[in-house]
Amino acid sequence: MMLIQTAKREPRVPAHPSWRGLMEQSACEVFSRMIGTEVTPISEVVVPDIGDVIAMVGMAGALCAVFRVRCSSEAALSIAAKMLGGESDPEHIPDAVGEVCNMVAGNFKAKIDGLAGGCMLSTPTVVIGHHEKVYSPASTEHLFAMVDYDGKPVWLGLEIST
Amino acid sequence: MKQLRVLVIDDSSIMRKMIARCLKLAGVEIGELIEAGDGREALDAVRKHKLDLILSDINMPEMDGLQFLQGLKDIQAAQGTPVVMITTEGTESRVIEALSAGAKAYIRKPFTSDEVKERIMPLVENLA
Repeated sequence: MMLIQTAKREPRVPAHPSWRGLMEQSACEVFSRMIGTEVTPISEVVVPDIGDVIAMVGMAGALCAVFRVRCSSEAALSIAAKMLGGESDPEHIPDAVGEVCNMVAGNFKAKIDGLAGGCMLSTPTVVIGHHEKVYSPASTEHLFAMVDYDGKPVWLGLEIST
Repeated sequence: MKQLRVLVIDDSSIMRKMIARCLKLAGVEIGELIEAGDGREALDAVRKHKLDLILSDINMPEMDGLQFLQGLKDIQAAQGTPVVMITTEGTESRVIEALSAGAKAYIRKPFTSDEVKERIMPLVENLA
């Protein structure tokens, strides 16, 4: 008899309206602790056409989702410079924003019961340029948030496969 | 304080630089800094260099931090070298997994230089 072993399926954790606040809180903590800058949530979230640097981290397990961080090149360059203690080089932009996205996503899931240990993160992917379109084959629920980083908006998005 | 040979393992080059900067801010004297982008590169570095301290991410392509810890057990020269895990995967089960696999400490991202100092200095002072 052949035994087929399948991966343990984590129970799905449904999205909750409080998650937007947790996304903001996660971003605030990452910027404060790792970048040395206090960011503040922006209550009115606009369409995410605010910049040309987009980092994405996949989440799989109890939550199937894509966590995105988006900002302008100017903001990204400033973030990279602060992460490196003042050194400013556009070459560091993808790595810096990718790592910020990874940390915000990780910090976000750590705040939610059932997600901390029940959801894995992918390594980040970074896209640079305008006019990108992202298509998801699954039906998707969206949560958006924004924070103000030194007068520059940083957009956060969570696209959940339902 | 002794000048240390430190290996920093992370798939993000900016994070490797940040960790090195935090170590310096914490007062660690780095004589030589060696960087690796994943566990496989790190095992090669461990075979080539006599190290005093290793800091490793967990989620990495090719070979992750927990697989690196397993591989490290087969390298005689690395026995006794303290390994500190630095990662976004800070759940209790992951911490236990890493400590069981041989890590001496665990730092969760996002971290501050004070937290790095608190976790690293006891290990570094033992080396002096």
